[in-house]
Amino acid sequence: MGRYMKYEIKGSYKFILGVLAIVLILTTVFYSYQFKQSNMGAIGGVAYLIMFVALFAAFLYIVDSFKKELYEDRGYLTFTLPLTGNQILGSKLLVALMWFIILGVVILLYNGFMLSRFIEFDISFREIFSVFNTETVAVGMTMFISGVVTLILIYFSMALGRVTFRNKKIGGMWFAIFLILNGLIGYTTLKITKAVPYYLDLNSFKVVTQRAIEQLSMLESMNFMSINSASVIVSAGGRTFMNIGSLIYTIFIGVATFLGTGYLIENKIDL
Amino acid sequence: MGNLVEIKGLSKNYLSKKALNNLSLDIESGKVVGILGPNGSGKTTLIKILTGLLRQSKGEVFIDGHNVGVYTKSIVSYLPDRNFLYNWMTIDDAFKFYKDFYSDFDENRGEKLLDFMKLEKNMKISSLSKGMNEKLNLTLVLSRRAKLYILDEPIAGVDPVARDKILDAIINNYNESSSMIITTHLVRDMESLFDEVVFLREGEILLKGNAEALREEKGKSIDEIYKEVFGE
Repeated sequence: MGRYMKYEIKGSYKFILGVLAIVLILTTVFYSYQFKQSNMGAIGGVAYLIMFVALFAAFLYIVDSFKKELYEDRGYLTFTLPLTGNQILGSKLLVALMWFIILGVVILLYNGFMLSRFIEFDISFREIFSVFNTETVAVGMTMFISGVVTLILIYFSMALGRVTFRNKKIGGMWFAIFLILNGLIGYTTLKITKAVPYYLDLNSFKVVTQRAIEQLSMLESMNFMSINSASVIVSAGGRTFMNIGSLIYTIFIGVATFLGTGYLIENKIDL
Repeated sequence: MGNLVEIKGLSKNYLSKKALNNLSLDIESGKVVGILGPNGSGKTTLIKILTGLLRQSKGEVFIDGHNVGVYTKSIVSYLPDRNFLYNWMTIDDAFKFYKDFYSDFDENRGEKLLDFMKLEKNMKISSLSKGMNEKLNLTLVLSRRAKLYILDEPIAGVDPVARDKILDAIINNYNESSSMIITTHLVRDMESLFDEVVFLREGEILLKGNAEALREEKGKSIDEIYKEVFGE
């Protein structure tokens, strides 16, 4: 699997470095311009926008690269290698995650660096790291898991799109399958959240009921983090709670679609 | 010698069309087998099933006693009828790729073949002409000391000079202990290579046998028999 990852990295690093270079140049120009204009108000929004566009460009590239395996001649090389479907898929997934993490971390650090060059900071490292509390870490982890599951779901939809209708190459079929599956998963996540109203208190790691959280929320306002309109993270009374059922279900969907995709590319795809 | 490839009752259907129809064939170790037939006769379908790129509708395939899968992919060296290498690669990358994935890859043989084909390692795959691509693909495939070589139309679409070069490379680099399956409709150019021939039409075997015995029996070359059988 490591061997295949090596060539996945070799095949994609130029694009990722290109994206990174453009982002860093844009960020530098933007910060310099805003500082000259003495207009630092827009920095946060535009910095987020640049990061979003960079991650989205990388996402499209990675998704397209998997599509090429299924629909173009390079599949003749990939699918005749002595590797299992899970090994091929796992390599692609790990390399994709690696790129997202590298892009995210480098862009964040560079923004921090640019801010420190233009603005006098009088805050300690302790204050900077205080941003990483239980709630932000839980939200970050949930977003990460959700992103990974979405990527696997896209891979699964592409593989399924390729094997349906007797392996006819129908453009866009995978996207329709993805939308339907995503809708179904969102709906069932919502149902599970309601059917299993138990949450994990991430501060004390105790299981609490929804009723107990609601009582807490009578005192303070609640914040929700939802995936496909299902509330998987709730913050109330200074504590963070994660819905146990929906978390397990999301992980289950990720594992099931991963194995399903591996099975399809190993046993069902006709090139 | 035992059979390296055993095909039993193999069928492949596409909607109403039968690409292969109840085909059975054994290929002995050490033999070069020509699968001959016009376009649409089922040659490529058969090869794709052997390499794991297609799934049969019915029947069984064993290579070295195994169902088609990870093991058989490790002992089969396959030349598809298209440019299958990743576009971002240089020839050097492609060499390293083969070396990493196939333990039977013989780098020395690869270097010699590359030299013979007049290809340079720093060349980018995306900048190669069709003929150069065919030569590179064949170089990689023949540089493996595989148990089974499968070449799908190895000389189709290349000029006569490149064609001769490719044929010479096949003759000079083929292992006596390995088997080789070659599909082609350019019979005259390739018939000297074949120990056995199989004539395919509409997914069925019309005629098969030892190439030399067929020549003697019919008093004709394999190319002439091909024209007779397929009415060209």
